[in-house]
Amino acid sequence: MAEPTGLRLFLKAIRARSYPRLKSVFRNRAWLFTEITLPLLGTVAMVYVYQALRAPRAWLGFVVLGGAMMAFWQNVLWSMGTQFYWDRAEGNLEIYCVAPSPLTGILLGMALGGIVISVTRALAIITVSSLLFGVGYRAGGVLPALGVFAVSLAALYCLGMLMASLFLFYGREVWHLAEAFQEPVYFLSGFYFPVRTLGALVGGAASLIPLTLGLDAIRQLLVPGTPVFFPIGWELAAVAVQVPIYAVASQLALARLEYQSRRDGRLIVRTS
Amino acid sequence: MSVLASSALTPVRLWRGFASATRLGWTISSNWTRPFVFLIYTVLRPVSGALILVVMYRFITGNRGSTVAYLSFLVTGTAFWGLVQNGLAGLANGMSEDRGFYRMLKYVYLAPLPFPLYLVGRGLAQLAVALVSAGVVLSLATIALHLPIDPLRVNYPMLALASALAMAAVLSIGLTYGLLLLGARDSHGYGEIGAQVLYIASGAIFPIAVLPHPLAAAAALSPLVYWMELVRRSLLGGQALRMFPDLSDGTVLLRLLLTAAATVVLAALAFGWADRNARRRGLIDQEANW
Repeated sequence: MAEPTGLRLFLKAIRARSYPRLKSVFRNRAWLFTEITLPLLGTVAMVYVYQALRAPRAWLGFVVLGGAMMAFWQNVLWSMGTQFYWDRAEGNLEIYCVAPSPLTGILLGMALGGIVISVTRALAIITVSSLLFGVGYRAGGVLPALGVFAVSLAALYCLGMLMASLFLFYGREVWHLAEAFQEPVYFLSGFYFPVRTLGALVGGAASLIPLTLGLDAIRQLLVPGTPVFFPIGWELAAVAVQVPIYAVASQLALARLEYQSRRDGRLIVRTS
Repeated sequence: MSVLASSALTPVRLWRGFASATRLGWTISSNWTRPFVFLIYTVLRPVSGALILVVMYRFITGNRGSTVAYLSFLVTGTAFWGLVQNGLAGLANGMSEDRGFYRMLKYVYLAPLPFPLYLVGRGLAQLAVALVSAGVVLSLATIALHLPIDPLRVNYPMLALASALAMAAVLSIGLTYGLLLLGARDSHGYGEIGAQVLYIASGAIFPIAVLPHPLAAAAALSPLVYWMELVRRSLLGGQALRMFPDLSDGTVLLRLLLTAAATVVLAALAFGWADRNARRRGLIDQEANW
């Protein structure tokens, strides 16, 4: 039997690692419920704050779109960033490392499966909150917004791959680290308000998170009256540049940390 | 007989067990890093939550003078909300962790100390952490946003009494909810969902009058609404934006007392049922494949 080529092995690793995630889209009902309900409740709470302050109805779209993007950030944090940590605790990481398939393929498989899971959650959040609060969107902006969304997701999940490598170095504190990355990122990326409100300095620094500019561009396309942080073209270009940067950085980090983990015996450290 | 008498749970032994549970809860929460780093992690979440609301407020109102009272409403609500978040979600998740991750829940259950007392001790440690972060958020916000909070004019007795009543209710909900969640196939995230539901129905960041009428009526049965009202009246005095402008402080306190007492009684009944159910189904020492 012929040995599989490097490319074929790479693609098979992607397919194999994304498979359990794709299967879990609807099979794990407890997670389905949690992953939709948590961001939905957060979105509903913020919509009521907008209503309490008598904000124009069109602005509720800011919150709903931010709430939907929250599903992606939570997925990147908990199912990408901390995944190798869980895998190590369960003994999977050492199997990944002794298998002939590259770790990059495994990370990409995780990302692809995670994107599919999060898209289903985000769609549910947008549908339910838009119907609940009667939020409308600019129909002509839907197709371009989908394009911006795709580029943003590519950059975001490349960042997730980088985080997966970096988080591997942590022990019990990884849980707290992931939690610490939640609210600050909701704030910096302007999940519940247009990022322009943060000002040039903070908003500019927050643009290192792909969701910041991606979400702002999507809002400009879909929600009338969105304050412009940067023109859509610039924001799209900035997010597109982040894709190769985070992809290369994740590969470098992965190679470095895999070597260091092998040397220090961290690949087989169990934290439970 | 003498052996049994000597091993009975005297108040001193109960206190020792309770103190150990609190110390254990504190250690589990905090010993993963150095104290300073722990403090940063502890305040990061509530500070960011408060910042989100402040920026939202500024964006929506454009800092109109007529809406300044709402800014204090938002900040005080979000600062104190950490107590509910930690007391409910923290405790419920802690029970699942004790069983699945640390695998020691069954040993605690078998120990002479009453199980609920252990849980309350474990929860108190979480509340202490939240109290620190509430203090930090309020101090920062008062200075940076010029909130009308004067430490010399705060009604501390009312604040302490209201908070004690509310926390009794929160801990009783938390330990019952945590025990019920042991029966779930996968309870990851359910603690946060419980806290988030209360967040919407507690008047923490918007007056409950904004909710649809049936929800607002249901929210008025929650002790947390009256607690939030009293927290604001204690801190801000006459400048507080009131959810119940027609009610005196005493009436709000009475409502808090009644709703908290009802919550504790209902939670105790539910805890008894959940405890019997957990023992019957073998949930206390179940392998959770954490």
